[in-house]
Amino acid sequence: MQPLHARYPFLSAAREAVQTAGVDLAAVVADEPAVVERALGRVEGALQEGTVGEPHRRTRVELLSYPVARVLVSVVDEHVLVHKYARAEAATAHERFSEELAADTDLRSTRAATLRLADLLAEFDLDGAVRETPEGYRVGVGAYLQHAADQWGEEWRLVNRELQDGEVPLTEAELLVLLRQAVRHRVEEGLPLDVPDSVATHLEGHTDRVEELLAELELTRDIDTVVPDLFPPCMQHLLDRIQKGEHLEHHSRFAIASFLTSIGMSTDDIVEMFQVNPGFGEEVTRYQVNHIRGATSPTEYSPPSCATMQSYGDCVNMDDLCEEISHPMGYYEAKLDDTEEEELVDWRERQESKS
Amino acid sequence: MEERTRAYLRGRFGDYYRRADLSPPPDANEREWGYVPWTEGPGATYVRHNSLLDLGDIETFLARERPRHVYFSAGRYRDPSASTMSEKSWLSSDLVFDLDADHLPATSPEDTYREMLATCKDALLRLLDFLERDFGFEDLTVAFSGSRGYHVHVRDEAVQYLERDARREIVDYVRATGLTAEGLVGTEMRETVTVRVLPTDGGWGRRVHERLLEFVAELEAMDREAALARLQELEGIGEGRARTVYGTIQNNREAIERGNLEAGGVGLRTLVDSLVGEVAAAENAPIDEPVTTDTNRLIRLPGSLHGGSGLAVRRVPRGDIEAFDPLVDAVPETFRSHDITVEVTDGGRVELGGDSFTLQEREHTVPEYLGVFLMCRGRAEKGKE
Ligand code: SF4
Repeated sequence: MQPLHARYPFLSAAREAVQTAGVDLAAVVADEPAVVERALGRVEGALQEGTVGEPHRRTRVELLSYPVARVLVSVVDEHVLVHKYARAEAATAHERFSEELAADTDLRSTRAATLRLADLLAEFDLDGAVRETPEGYRVGVGAYLQHAADQWGEEWRLVNRELQDGEVPLTEAELLVLLRQAVRHRVEEGLPLDVPDSVATHLEGHTDRVEELLAELELTRDIDTVVPDLFPPCMQHLLDRIQKGEHLEHHSRFAIASFLTSIGMSTDDIVEMFQVNPGFGEEVTRYQVNHIRGATSPTEYSPPSCATMQSYGDCVNMDDLCEEISHPMGYYEAKLDDTEEEELVDWRERQESKS
Repeated sequence: MEERTRAYLRGRFGDYYRRADLSPPPDANEREWGYVPWTEGPGATYVRHNSLLDLGDIETFLARERPRHVYFSAGRYRDPSASTMSEKSWLSSDLVFDLDADHLPATSPEDTYREMLATCKDALLRLLDFLERDFGFEDLTVAFSGSRGYHVHVRDEAVQYLERDARREIVDYVRATGLTAEGLVGTEMRETVTVRVLPTDGGWGRRVHERLLEFVAELEAMDREAALARLQELEGIGEGRARTVYGTIQNNREAIERGNLEAGGVGLRTLVDSLVGEVAAAENAPIDEPVTTDTNRLIRLPGSLHGGSGLAVRRVPRGDIEAFDPLVDAVPETFRSHDITVEVTDGGRVELGGDSFTLQEREHTVPEYLGVFLMCRGRAEKGKE
């Protein structure tokens, strides 16, 4: 077990090192509290800071805390947790390899135990797909899409890229972001794991702590953020139709209005959002929204679940995330979670700065 | 459709399949197969979740079953005949594109069948330009769908394992969804200043840049007054901005050629904004999104017959696309040799097989391919013997 493995525990070499050492994870969980503590630290860090926290000074503890953290995440088994955890592991790795790769080249070559870009690329089977050019790098479009498709940000959309002959040009910094995505996908792979009860029982106190943290997050997260780009496909579609001035059936109008209400929008906001289409009169909109708000008791505001949406034919353009959630609100929450705070531009602020 | 019509069509489809050379897709045994038989009643039965283990070799199966429609999956599976997707256990998928005249914005309900198909072929050529020039794909199969459009199957290794999100990026790319000047224009350090640059070497940037140079050439061909007036037709460009843009064209054309947008000021950037919209509308390929993003999609088997037209789903070699005329080239040889009688129930003009026919609602003796076409379309019944 080398320090390199502890720094990058998701590497296949790290996994092999653990195997070669004959480590029995169940025994570690039962007998090595330092490892379990550090594993909890990783997960706490993920939920609180978006990184996996300070490394333990002992290589063995640090390295083994990674598989144990994955077990911990699996026992709690929450979609948001898996997501946040994988992002945090990737963020920490990205920070470390960016630093290491930027370090002096001479120094790098003499230190055998550091990571080279070529190693990272090979680790993720990207060595064949990436080539260096005088301006930066070119990445095969298949490999690019595999890792960039769920990366947030306009500049990552393929439509904005200088795609030519099956290759996407990237700067070095962008290539490192792509590798961060590759790490994230690697960490996510296989989660949640099947954890035997005998192991899970040993982790009870720790899973309680993680669940507590999660609950706190949910509580502080009474959604009050309006980012239409992150709306689930069904809601985007309904909004689109309204903005085009189409007439919606009652259930569809109810679905979109209750969704928008649940994410914190006022009637005025909703009227404004609907009004992109000049042919769609304000009064009609206001009447409809008020009707929905007034005609039902507050508890019935909650937007319909995916099952209900499906039965009405309002569930359209499902994507991968749709398969993991059961409620359009769950979709939106997951998307919000997935997006860096600074990247979130609330639609209402945008409206203000416009007027 | 009456029983005798159905029996006739089924019989003749069988004759076709006994002679047809289908050359099934690669890894046919890892794919799911589906078909629609010639059953009675309005609700067509869709028989799905078959593997070749269930059907046997595909040519023999088709000659025996003589189905109305035949499909195979874009996906490959460990167990293609399992009844749920998770039990099938997905391995990989071809990338499939569907261009259907019904979904093309450039067609109108008044267009003739021929006109719609021509519009569709234009879109196909634009799609292939993206797939070949931008994406660099090499393993492409183009097929006439047998009815109102074209399919393209991409089998390059690079696409096989892409999931839905990644495929949607490809859809957005060829449809220009979300394409904006803001997203397209990047910044570059030139000496000590950052300048806004329109990429010129690839992607939509290249397409917009080409259009920009064309537009510049048009302006240069005019006299000064006319050019200034032309520029001011664009939203957001007044007299002052028009003059700056015109001046840049005169004095610093080379900057524009490099994609440097700083030189022409706000006016040039406004011009690019409007060209982005124009280029996106003119050059996108309006494919049917769900077909491409669905990794489990079933698509018509090239070489089979389309039960709604009696035309063949024809593979079209790359070099033959320009010359391909679906209304002639997709007419099966089997149906060309003799005439049959049909009772036309929904008449009108029909162009097919290199001929044009005007049909009244009564009994007609017509070339068999036309009779089959009309019966498949539900516009005629088989004449009584
Ligand atoms: S699965 Fe749910 S969130 Fe996704 S589109 Fe359907 S209804 Fe909307």
